Amino acid sequence: MAAELTSTKLNPESHIILDQPLLRLPHELARRNFKTVQRAVEREKEYVIPAIKETAAASLSNTQTPDQTLAALDAMISRMQGLKRKMESLQEEEKKIHNQSRKRIQHLETLHKIPSLADVKYDQWSRVRLDRLLVDHMLRSGYSESAKQLAQDRGVEELVDLGVFTQCQRVVDSLRRGETKEALQWCGENKAALKKSQQYIEMVRTQDKSKKIEAIIHAKKYLIPNHQSQNSEIMRAAGLLVFTQDTRAEPYKSLFALDRWRFLAQLFIQTHHELLSLPSQPLLHIALSAGLSALKTPLCHSAYTSSSSNSQSTSTSVCPICSTELNELARKMPYAHHSKSYVESDPIVLPNGRVYGKQRLMEISRKMGSVGPGNVKDPTTGEIFHEGEMKKVYIM
Amino acid sequence: MEGLNHVGDHRNSLSLCFETKYSYCLNILYILSILEGAEIKSSYLKFSTWRDSVTSPVTSEPVNRNPSAMDVVQKEHSRLLKRTEASQGIKNVQSAIDSLQAARDAIAADPSAASTTLASLQNSVKSSFDSINDSLKETHSGLNKYTKSLDKLFKDRPLPSTDDDGLSSHESLINRAIAMHLLREGQFGVAATFLSEIAEQNTIYPVTQNGSGPSNTSASLLDIDEVPSTEIRKQFASMYYILQQLQENRNLLPAIEWSRENREALEARGSNLEFELCRLQYVWLYHGGANNQGTASGWLAALEYARQEFHVFVPRYLREVQQLVGAMAYSPNLGGSPYAALFNNTSAWDDVAHFFTREFCSLLGLSADSPLYIAATAGAIALPTLLKLQTIMKSKRTEWTSENELPVEIPLPPQYLFHSIFVCPVSKEQATDENPPMMMPCGHVIAQESLKRLGKGNRFKCPYCPSESHPKDARKVFL
Repeated sequence: MAAELTSTKLNPESHIILDQPLLRLPHELARRNFKTVQRAVEREKEYVIPAIKETAAASLSNTQTPDQTLAALDAMISRMQGLKRKMESLQEEEKKIHNQSRKRIQHLETLHKIPSLADVKYDQWSRVRLDRLLVDHMLRSGYSESAKQLAQDRGVEELVDLGVFTQCQRVVDSLRRGETKEALQWCGENKAALKKSQQYIEMVRTQDKSKKIEAIIHAKKYLIPNHQSQNSEIMRAAGLLVFTQDTRAEPYKSLFALDRWRFLAQLFIQTHHELLSLPSQPLLHIALSAGLSALKTPLCHSAYTSSSSNSQSTSTSVCPICSTELNELARKMPYAHHSKSYVESDPIVLPNGRVYGKQRLMEISRKMGSVGPGNVKDPTTGEIFHEGEMKKVYIM
Repeated sequence: MEGLNHVGDHRNSLSLCFETKYSYCLNILYILSILEGAEIKSSYLKFSTWRDSVTSPVTSEPVNRNPSAMDVVQKEHSRLLKRTEASQGIKNVQSAIDSLQAARDAIAADPSAASTTLASLQNSVKSSFDSINDSLKETHSGLNKYTKSLDKLFKDRPLPSTDDDGLSSHESLINRAIAMHLLREGQFGVAATFLSEIAEQNTIYPVTQNGSGPSNTSASLLDIDEVPSTEIRKQFASMYYILQQLQENRNLLPAIEWSRENREALEARGSNLEFELCRLQYVWLYHGGANNQGTASGWLAALEYARQEFHVFVPRYLREVQQLVGAMAYSPNLGGSPYAALFNNTSAWDDVAHFFTREFCSLLGLSADSPLYIAATAGAIALPTLLKLQTIMKSKRTEWTSENELPVEIPLPPQYLFHSIFVCPVSKEQATDENPPMMMPCGHVIAQESLKRLGKGNRFKCPYCPSESHPKDARKVFL
């Protein structure tokens, strides 16, 4: 029961595997945004309500002058106004995120209206997807400017996550420069989600290497709240303070190494992506590695020029795997599995062993000026044969 | 379903009965294989029997639920959006501020009422906070419902978890492919930014690139280290210019000029691009050219053009030239003439643009469509099948043993088949350089290894016809 050789069936539900981050990421942002609102409200509530109670109690027992009461109320008002401002800006953010999600859902929904893979609309949709994948790849590789420009040129800004990745990149850059400030700030913002993460501590630890005194203050500030979960790590970090930078004793030596920064940057990226449920690899890689294999045939890296698809003949288009752009990339990929032969209709073989569809060969030869009547020209090798030399070949 | 064709055949009821049963069995197997979603080569999953498919934990294709998961996602999201817009949170904060302010004013005016004012303030602020929390709770439940709908949409469809996709180590090759894609699509600005950003990053963080394999023969135009060479950039820039002139300004002259410069190479390919371009130019002139006025002047311009240009084509395209010039006799009533189709081809411009792109890219050894686009699209089409395969293999604890070949067939649309495929009818293996297709004197083709196995050095009967031959009489063919 061989599966069909070709199919143009489009199953939109399974077709959107690559598009999960498209909806998941803004949703994670919306949730994060919501949690920030919740925390802010909770904080003000915990301040204002007891404050009123205290003030009321104080004024009841006459231990407070009216001026003090008014001052307490003023403080509450200004805090509530602060809350309002914060909520307003968060609500703006929320709306922006939701509108982005809506556009993305619409984009995915168009897929449901496309009848088949052969439809022109699918072609358009898939081109938008490629643009998205390219922007994703550029952002992950740190080519933010190109990503921005491409997204603008193609009008897909709502479908890509420029902001998120640019922020991530900024932190990574600062880490590579050997600064932890931005990374720590990010950790602070995502404290709740990072509870179990080792990264937090890692960040802190590397700071230790610059200045000892600063490090001790630093350690007090950042390390102590974590001492329960990361005890051994912290002991080691404290140990660092004793050793100088040129120590040879492991594990401290590796902790002082310059490579540590690169490792940290990597760790940061990994944690960042995990938190936002972003895949660790660029989506383009996933799509390409599947696509290269699905398209590749043993002929693509063959020592012999393929008769059926090469750049010498005008009636064939160059196979994308044979094309310079992808050929080297596909070299180590497995080729597609086929259970049936697929050849041009009415195949004939020329005396040099090359197989062509009879119709196509005659047509090409007719178009070429230098071929006399009754002759055919091999479009791959340029040899000329008499029509009578064509021999029927049977390919099952 | 071979067997099904026999159902309507009433010549032999006995054989019909047998055939029907047989086809019924086949049908079951077929359905099971569909359920399984992917036909796994038996050599890879040796113990994969039909019973396994029945008990297989892999779920079948999701039946078309009503409403679809996508609809649910859409609905939950618009609900969420509506809720956000109608959110009372800030209003409640404002009302808390208002009551605080009112209390403050009251106390300022009459300090003696402070304790009663504060007591009631306590209640009103508390109720404001309660309503804020209510509205937050509502948003929270909306978010959760949306999460659930997303989970359902992407259920059983995790992204592939490959630790090594075989591509990460080829960053520079991927970047090169992207740069060429951008150039090809005419996005020269983005391409320039992209290349300069790559260069910049390479100077700041020199990465030791591993595995930029030996450059292949056709890569002479492109140096791998020097991602798209200036040469290719120039080529694409001129291609884009010509296409733009052709499509937007209906100006064929740059294209014709290019085809003249490359006449020899085009002719060797059997390409009639130059003639096609000139023919379109002729038709365009006839219809009035740039100013698109009456046919009288167009007629003259076309004839003049034919006199100047067409003589070159006479040896090769005598018939076509005769048609083109002969059509003039019918002017101005060309529409009613036998030549009407030649002069009123609505897709002519698109066809020619496409033709030009293909020829231009082919001369550079490149495929006409962006390979990156084709590969990414094919990848998206292939992914569901590959993922299903991954799940099946994981659940059966089977390793995919062949490194060279995918273990499953991936049906792609016909335009994604670029090469002929030869699968040996005896061994069912695809031909490779090591195991090429061999044609026996009778014209049947099998793979070299099958030939060796069948012949064992002696004369043998072709598996498909009665003729006998010696293995050494078989000839290698190229598909």
